Amino acid sequence: MASDIMEKLAILAAGAKYDVSCASSGSFRRNKEGIGNAASCGICHSWTSDGRCVSLLKLLMTNSCIYDCAYCINRRSNDSRRVILTPAEVAELTIGFYRRNYIEGLFLSTGVVRSPDYTMELLIEAVRTLRQEYRFNGYIHLKLVPGADPLLVEKAGLLADRVSINLELPTRESLALLAPDKSRESVVGPMRQVNSLIVVNREERSVSRRVPRFAPAGQSTQLIVGATSESDLQIVTLSEQLYNRFALKRVYYSAFIPVVADTRLPAGSTSPHRREHRLYQADWLLRYYGFSAFELLDEGSPNLDMELDPKTGWALRHLELFPVEINRADHEELLRVPGIGVRSAQRIVRARRQGHLGIDDLAKLGVVMKRARYFITARGRYIGGCAMDSRLLLRKLIVGVPQQGGMQMELPLSRPVKSDECIGLVSGEL
Amino acid sequence: MGGDYRYDGTFAGLLTLLAHLMPERILPDAIGIDPPHQQSLFAGVTFIETDKELVEDFWGELTKRIAPAGLSHIRRTFLAEHPERELMICRYLQLAWEVGKKIGGMLAHPHVTPLWKLSQQVAGEAHRYKGFVRFQETGGGLFYAAISPGHRILSLIAPHFAARFSDQHWVIHDMAHGEGIVHDRLRREWLILPMVINAEPDLTPAEVRFQALWRSYFTTLAIAERENLRLQRSKVPLKVRPWLVEFPK
Repeated sequence: MASDIMEKLAILAAGAKYDVSCASSGSFRRNKEGIGNAASCGICHSWTSDGRCVSLLKLLMTNSCIYDCAYCINRRSNDSRRVILTPAEVAELTIGFYRRNYIEGLFLSTGVVRSPDYTMELLIEAVRTLRQEYRFNGYIHLKLVPGADPLLVEKAGLLADRVSINLELPTRESLALLAPDKSRESVVGPMRQVNSLIVVNREERSVSRRVPRFAPAGQSTQLIVGATSESDLQIVTLSEQLYNRFALKRVYYSAFIPVVADTRLPAGSTSPHRREHRLYQADWLLRYYGFSAFELLDEGSPNLDMELDPKTGWALRHLELFPVEINRADHEELLRVPGIGVRSAQRIVRARRQGHLGIDDLAKLGVVMKRARYFITARGRYIGGCAMDSRLLLRKLIVGVPQQGGMQMELPLSRPVKSDECIGLVSGEL
Repeated sequence: MGGDYRYDGTFAGLLTLLAHLMPERILPDAIGIDPPHQQSLFAGVTFIETDKELVEDFWGELTKRIAPAGLSHIRRTFLAEHPERELMICRYLQLAWEVGKKIGGMLAHPHVTPLWKLSQQVAGEAHRYKGFVRFQETGGGLFYAAISPGHRILSLIAPHFAARFSDQHWVIHDMAHGEGIVHDRLRREWLILPMVINAEPDLTPAEVRFQALWRSYFTTLAIAERENLRLQRSKVPLKVRPWLVEFPK
């Protein structure tokens, strides 16, 4: 490898870094007489100075593009140096990094050169080289090129662990405004196709394990937040539909960062990171907490509260359901209490079988008492110290209360407890 | 009741000790490690000799009394770097002897909480080190990695790396505890051995190139507009950075 690889790598990594997807989870692949395997819980290898995790070698095959999407750094009209890697170079880099345990696998995306089909074939060739010549069994996330032939989409899914195609803009109108060369159908079409292939593949594999797996880690997509004027209600409802109709594994949200000047884009350089964070929280509520989009947002208040997390916001609008008795509430009710997460809810259910839980036990089980205290009772005891009134509670929740009465028990261990990393964090990793 | 007990530092040694203590319902004041044959140095200290047969019987009894999840908590607690790890295990077992398998759910009990929390810390660190190991290719085709974890996690990460890099000769060296995993590519086996290093590894030209590529890639990847060094530091603590290629020395 010559030194120009160094330069190409820098240019192509810079072009790929705005794609936020980084998950290496959800697939399990054994090492069959080669190198590598895919761990089902996902592993992060490092974190860059923006606090995002590095799990996959995130790379563009090329930053040349025939399209001219307003938000994209690789748009045709942007005056920048264009380079391209060969499939062999991609494979060599991946294996070199993987052998040193820098990465969990490859995330290969690309600009569109010549035609969608030609580009898709380049990506497939790189991944084929890895899988067949290097016998690489690590994680591969492959981007589908909008408008590529369905046969190529199918080929891609048979080689990769996860495939994705980015919706980028939540509505048809925004897409027409900012990405005039792409149609909604050219994105949704492959998504629908992949979903049906996954369903068929699962059925075939339930009959015979010899059938090769198709995209075992499913598919994901990304939405840019803040480049256009959609409300959170529109975005969260769209995500809900994507999860329900296309069984997507993840929808990623990317706070818009202006990388190129364009009159169609919002001015100013403030990126809506707080909003992105709230959207991820709402997304988690959809996927793991049994909430529906209409419970979190409606026409009257179409945007998420920036001061308050969406679950606490929901609880304050439904005070008639609280306080919840921790020893009697069922699992679904526990999940809806602010300050109780998936794992602490499980622990409560397990622990209370062996005897009633008191208020002091809850912090030990991982419940965040700072929020939960206003919404629960334990053995009938309420320690919120405040009437169930949404205005009073709101003030207490936002301002916070001084610690009193040793409610948040200190643990006898010196180090802070980290919960299992297999559950992804709100920052969008894993 | 009470007393100061010593064992040889192995898991089998601790199990032997516990096998002696359990039937008598003894809760020691302290459990410590002594190199064998030095037990007579302190008065009032009881040294328990490891007894393989007793361990096997006792392990059988443990598996009857405690569910598999509880046994993994015990194993991981044993690997923790914590002055009271043996006493925690001892208290946990005494409770298990009292209440039986119910102990699996007693997460808020004062003898159970410290154990699973510590076990979770060990498991968490082991998981992070699946990512934080950096192999360097040295002359002779050996891939060498040095780490410095807080707990003794080598036995927890070895199967992961053995499965992933089964076609490589590799070593993961725990500098903090003076031991390392050695993986043999031909026999597809790994061992944990005492280890010291007295020379800098001799890197191949390919290694130097890949390290440079990785550093440049890593720097490019950060989005300047979103810089968040505090978040980065909570994810990659300063103490692990000396072993990571991508962080400057």
